[in-house]
Amino acid sequence: MILVIAEQQRGKLNRATWETIVGAQQLDASAITVLVPGASAASVAGELAAANVREVLTVEDAALDPYTPDGFTAALQDAIAQLKPEYVLLPHTYQTRDFAPKLAARLDRAIVTDVTAIKTGTETSFVRPMFQGKLTADVVPQGPAPHFVTFQIGAYRVDQVAKGSAPAPIRALSVTVDPSTIRQQPEAPFQQAKAAVDLSQAERIVSVGRGIKEQANIRIAEELATALGAELAASRPICDSGWLPMERQVGSSGQTVAPKLYLALGISGAIQHLVGMKGSNTIVAVNKDPDAPIFEIADYGIVGDLFEVVPAIIAALKG
Amino acid sequence: MKIAVCIKQVPTREWQPRLDDSKTWIRESDASFEMNEPDAYALEEALRLKEKHGGEVVVCSAGPSRVAQVIREALARGADRAIHVEDEGLASADAFVTAAALADAMRDERFDLVLTGLQSDDQGFAQVGVVLAEKLDMPHSTIIMEVQIDPAAAAGQPGALRVKRELEGGWFQWIAMPLPAVLTIQSGINQLRYATLKGIMAAKKKEIRKAAPSGGAAAKQKIVNLYVPEKGKKTQIIGGSPAEAAKALVQKLRDEARVIQ
Amino acid sequence: MSTLIFWLLFVGFVGVFAAQVATRVRLIAAAPNTFDVDDPGFRVGRWLADVLFQRKTILERPIAGLAHAFVFWGFVAFAGYTSVEFLYGLGIVDLTQAAWFHAYRVAVVPFATAVLAGILYLLVRRAVVRPIALGTHVSLESIVIALFIATLMVTYLLAFRLEEGSTAAVVNWWVHMLVILGFLALIPASKHFHLVLSPVTVFLKSKELGNLPNLDFEKEQVGLETLNDLGSKSVLDAFTCVECGRCQVNCPAWGAGKELNPKAIILQTQDALLAGSRDRKLGEIYSEKVLWQCTTCGACENQCPVGIEHLPILIGSRRGLVSNGDAPAYLGAMYNNLERRSNIWGLGYDQRTKFVQSAELETFDPAKHDVLVWLGCAGSFDADFQKSLKSLFSILRARRVAFGVLAKERCTGDPAKRTGNEYMYQELATANIDDLKSAGVKKIVTSCPHCVKTIGADYAKFGYQVEIVHSSVFVNELLQDAGTRGASGPSEAITYHDPCYLGRYAGKTDEPRALLTRFGADLREPERNRDNPYCCGAGGGLLFADKEEEPGSRISDVRFKQLQATGANTVVTACPFCSIMLKGAQASAGADTQFVDLMTYVDGKLRAIG
Repeated sequence: MILVIAEQQRGKLNRATWETIVGAQQLDASAITVLVPGASAASVAGELAAANVREVLTVEDAALDPYTPDGFTAALQDAIAQLKPEYVLLPHTYQTRDFAPKLAARLDRAIVTDVTAIKTGTETSFVRPMFQGKLTADVVPQGPAPHFVTFQIGAYRVDQVAKGSAPAPIRALSVTVDPSTIRQQPEAPFQQAKAAVDLSQAERIVSVGRGIKEQANIRIAEELATALGAELAASRPICDSGWLPMERQVGSSGQTVAPKLYLALGISGAIQHLVGMKGSNTIVAVNKDPDAPIFEIADYGIVGDLFEVVPAIIAALKG
Repeated sequence: MKIAVCIKQVPTREWQPRLDDSKTWIRESDASFEMNEPDAYALEEALRLKEKHGGEVVVCSAGPSRVAQVIREALARGADRAIHVEDEGLASADAFVTAAALADAMRDERFDLVLTGLQSDDQGFAQVGVVLAEKLDMPHSTIIMEVQIDPAAAAGQPGALRVKRELEGGWFQWIAMPLPAVLTIQSGINQLRYATLKGIMAAKKKEIRKAAPSGGAAAKQKIVNLYVPEKGKKTQIIGGSPAEAAKALVQKLRDEARVIQ
Repeated sequence: MSTLIFWLLFVGFVGVFAAQVATRVRLIAAAPNTFDVDDPGFRVGRWLADVLFQRKTILERPIAGLAHAFVFWGFVAFAGYTSVEFLYGLGIVDLTQAAWFHAYRVAVVPFATAVLAGILYLLVRRAVVRPIALGTHVSLESIVIALFIATLMVTYLLAFRLEEGSTAAVVNWWVHMLVILGFLALIPASKHFHLVLSPVTVFLKSKELGNLPNLDFEKEQVGLETLNDLGSKSVLDAFTCVECGRCQVNCPAWGAGKELNPKAIILQTQDALLAGSRDRKLGEIYSEKVLWQCTTCGACENQCPVGIEHLPILIGSRRGLVSNGDAPAYLGAMYNNLERRSNIWGLGYDQRTKFVQSAELETFDPAKHDVLVWLGCAGSFDADFQKSLKSLFSILRARRVAFGVLAKERCTGDPAKRTGNEYMYQELATANIDDLKSAGVKKIVTSCPHCVKTIGADYAKFGYQVEIVHSSVFVNELLQDAGTRGASGPSEAITYHDPCYLGRYAGKTDEPRALLTRFGADLREPERNRDNPYCCGAGGGLLFADKEEEPGSRISDVRFKQLQATGANTVVTACPFCSIMLKGAQASAGADTQFVDLMTYVDGKLRAIG
């Protein structure tokens, strides 16, 4: 039996759970149980029951709400003892990283993290990046079952999930947790105050350079930022000209940023700018000049007039 | 405050990977090593806490003899003393073996707070800190952005420690817990100090306690094959009309890079 | 009776002089010894030029310099006369009636006239014209001294008109002698002490601009922390300062409106030394902020007419701060980049590998290659500068120069050295030296002037000798026979920005110009050129400091305006960092000035010729 631990907050399913179900289906599509822990688990169980799985279990215990690593470890320890799975699969989310190693250590079982693929054969191995992605390793968990495996976000595509012919049965599972063993006291989650611009915390950034030509044109970059849910930033000349405030400047004379997405519009990529955004996960460059240094470090590049390309991106995002 | 910081020595980022003959580990003779960067942030946080609350910072590292280099570096940055669990086999150890080796050497020190980096730049398990907490029977929290200690609270009191944890999607959460505790520190939480000449000179006189691993823990995972991934980072230039290029870009950002919904 | 009175006055005034000199000499003697007299031949030659012939004084300010030279040469000429008069006044020996003395007296009359003209010009300049270099307040003491000197000359000339032995002549003699005694008493506590010290200071000045001996960690040297740590040469410098302000007006930081003023640094040192309390922290005396404003361009030290070395004080104090962890945050970040990535940008090493592959560079092999091309931090990582390196490679290939690059390079350590992080510098330097040695490198070509200085001059302090030349020098030599045909067509207006580390430190000012004009450039010299360029603002680790600066007041902005003022629309640069700074200033100014690296310019012309 393969146990998939779903992740949800206040009844909203983390999409990465679907990816983990794809991984489970690759291991053994016939023996998958999905366990949804936490308050309002029932409200997402129905959604998950659409997948081709044997059963969906909900665990709604006071010890699981709010999330604590101690509570989750204790509750899932009990669930695993009842279900006796061979594999426990989880998405490699921040929450998983917080409790799964503890759970595996409590049970003294192997845990392979950040897996991107599964290789089946004489023995099943799990593929994971090592050394900052410079190398890839095929890893075989050792010792008795269950083996824990966490999947890198994006390892599988959500639309690869095999749906079942009929909804899977949903069942509530009860667990026993001693509340006195929970030592963490979490407060309510919050978002950073939006008042001050903090580019260093931004997830997505749309950044403009001299290619924007004049102050009035910044509006189209702003529209793109809104469409992407991104912060607006700029290279030094833009801020020096006063077209955008100094705190929006990226580079060695401004902020150092590391967003998931950095979209550079009309930025040639002087090294002083590059050192401020080199840590970005995915870099997109739109520039007229095919020789612009920004293309050297970009993941995706469009050589073209930003005044044509940007409205087209906005349209594509909306369409 | 008696603060432990667990640090690891990893190959430098400039290192070009080469494999050993078994093709299951790297050729260490080709590599140059440095302090795992996330651990450097944990060390910096420990030093700042010591500067604020007083006490002592002890660096703990489990690894082969070469690890002494990063231990010296940590001492030069201001750690007071060090514990080195020394064994050549620890170079490629998994998280359980590493955590067990550290836990055994650290248990009797009765630390108030144990900090580690979020994960290592080599194997990247993101497990050692959490497993260590379980082995030391301490509460823990991960991906920490800020650490507050209430000097008035007694150690075991639930509110002695309050930490800001990063959640996904730009959300954060404060969590209170008693001391002693284990925290894994998010990179970028602070501005790293550099090793000063005075610190380097002072480090020569600081104590490094060597410990042997107890050897109780068995490896929980085995690398059967290690190889260079096929796809390197290359710029994809998207051609076509602006509309076509934009459409292709949005699709790639959704499905390939997965940075937008 | 008059002899006795003169004796009493003599002893009194000379006593005042001697007591003040003794205080200063004691301070110099108490300081750690940093005097160096290597290569005495060079030092004597320089001494003759700069002291006897007043080279620096005249070159920087021809009119005031000549006026000063007249006064100086007059003083020298008068030495014999004054001695004879004192021997006479003190009743020791009377040589005033000797025939040679009469001839001598007549011979120095033209000198007296020249001194009088010179000092009156300087007096007007100081009191009326008041150039900013001399400070914002008119110095009363300088006026008094100028009047003293004028009085000496007037009384000297007057003596010829007065009947010997007359009351008027006696009074005239007494006035002359008393003014000399008064002058003597005023000297040690004023800028006129340079009369006594500058010949010594000029002789002791280091041969090397910005000379910073390696710190010896075994001896627990950590740099300059307090006044106590200042070396004897620096203490001597502090008392030698003539307050002319050449260092100040040539300082790019001061020119851009910053607080750093090299003259103030020297005078603050002097005041602090005389005030006692020798454990005062240098960071307080000069202010830490000021210490971090120096680009180490070397203009101050290079311009000083009395042999003062500012950089050992400025960088020495930075060393003291860095050793205690007091570097500004942007430097802390750079140190971490250097430590973890061995380059200033903190970029991954694959970027260099990518460039080495795309430019089809071979790993250096002494059996195959004539020279090693050192890429440097900019060449390894700045895509913009890599274009100009590709031009260099193309020139070398066209001329069949066999060259290779190191498999791995670290930063030379220049930014660490100039910002006072000596430990990091030595780590980087010794590792690079090991690599260069084991690769069997004999000759290096690089397009980075900072690398030339560091590998050429600073690495020599570890006993490592290698020939390193800037690409402008190497290529100029290589293309001696080329280019004349390229002068066809209308010549284009071009201005050339001398990098400090090429023009001032290495003295290579002709080679880049020769290359440019050979290929048909119509060279428009900017204000501040050749061996006294105005810095771009990047040196001394300030490449990343513009976070702290107001746009428009950056050193790079000031320099960009100077270059723009030549009217040339193309600026040729020969240093990656100048290029980065000036392009930044140009982008911020929204100007359409074109920047071209020298190698790209030359390669383009070569290709046009075919």
